[in-house]
Amino acid sequence: MLDFMFAVFGGLAVLGAAVLFFHPSIVHGAFALVASLLGVAGLYWTLGADFLGGAQLLLYVGGVTVLLLFAVMLTTRDSQRISLPRHVFGALLVGLLGAWLWDACSGVLAVVQASGAGLPPDPQPTTALIGTALLERAEYLLPFEAISVLLLVVLVGAVTLARRRTEGGA
Amino acid sequence: MIAALLQDAHAVAQAAPEAAGAAPSAALEAARLAGSLSSYLVVSGLLFLLGVAVILVRRNALYVLMGVELILNAANLNFVAFARFGGYGLDGQMFALFVVILAAAEAAIALAIVLRIFNDFGSIDITRTDSLRD
Repeated sequence: MLDFMFAVFGGLAVLGAAVLFFHPSIVHGAFALVASLLGVAGLYWTLGADFLGGAQLLLYVGGVTVLLLFAVMLTTRDSQRISLPRHVFGALLVGLLGAWLWDACSGVLAVVQASGAGLPPDPQPTTALIGTALLERAEYLLPFEAISVLLLVVLVGAVTLARRRTEGGA
Repeated sequence: MIAALLQDAHAVAQAAPEAAGAAPSAALEAARLAGSLSSYLVVSGLLFLLGVAVILVRRNALYVLMGVELILNAANLNFVAFARFGGYGLDGQMFALFVVILAAAEAAIALAIVLRIFNDFGSIDITRTDSLRD
């Protein structure tokens, strides 16, 4: 069952990313990104990270992509083809990077297999554990509070940046 | 190596019903662990490469943003997969959670900047925005 879920969500994630790359229209690309992020949320669920999957769904699928679609509507007038030299250049660099990544992953996996460790036990629901780690045991209290300040700064910053400049400046 | 591991995992899955009665050997368990981990690493690697490809090839600033989102997701997936299969408990998930929040904040600011660039330059082609002030 878990293997089947992995295949579905993993396929969705990679397929969405591929459509984003290959499709000439940016609106199609943005919707493909939604599918891809949805796939990643599903992969979190197959890994037992239920709260993280939910957060991904709310923040990314619900929030970031809506922002992106708004920006697409406000700024983009026409889809553009990719020029051939850029394509070749990009394919070359990505191929090199992929080969290096494959090599690195192989090394890591060899170490993992040589360690002889077995599969860890099935994960428990994480929501209560994350709440405890954030506030009660206070392991992540400082980053938690720092994030709240950061969100305020982002809110003010985004409004300031996006506002049209008036005659009186600023 | 990864392909071999995936084949191993497949073989293990095939052999699993017979071995269910007896306790699985340590080598078998290690192969199964590496097999599950490698399948997540493959997905994450593909997402990362596609993200880099989008950033390299497209000239629209919004595509660059979407590529960055893909790369962040690939990194997050690695965090969670290693935490799950390495037995590190919640730490990987917490890190990924903070990355998700930061990515949302980054997207909001970046889109404000993109709108501003569009107002000033009339285009969000990243090869044409080449002056700080006019």
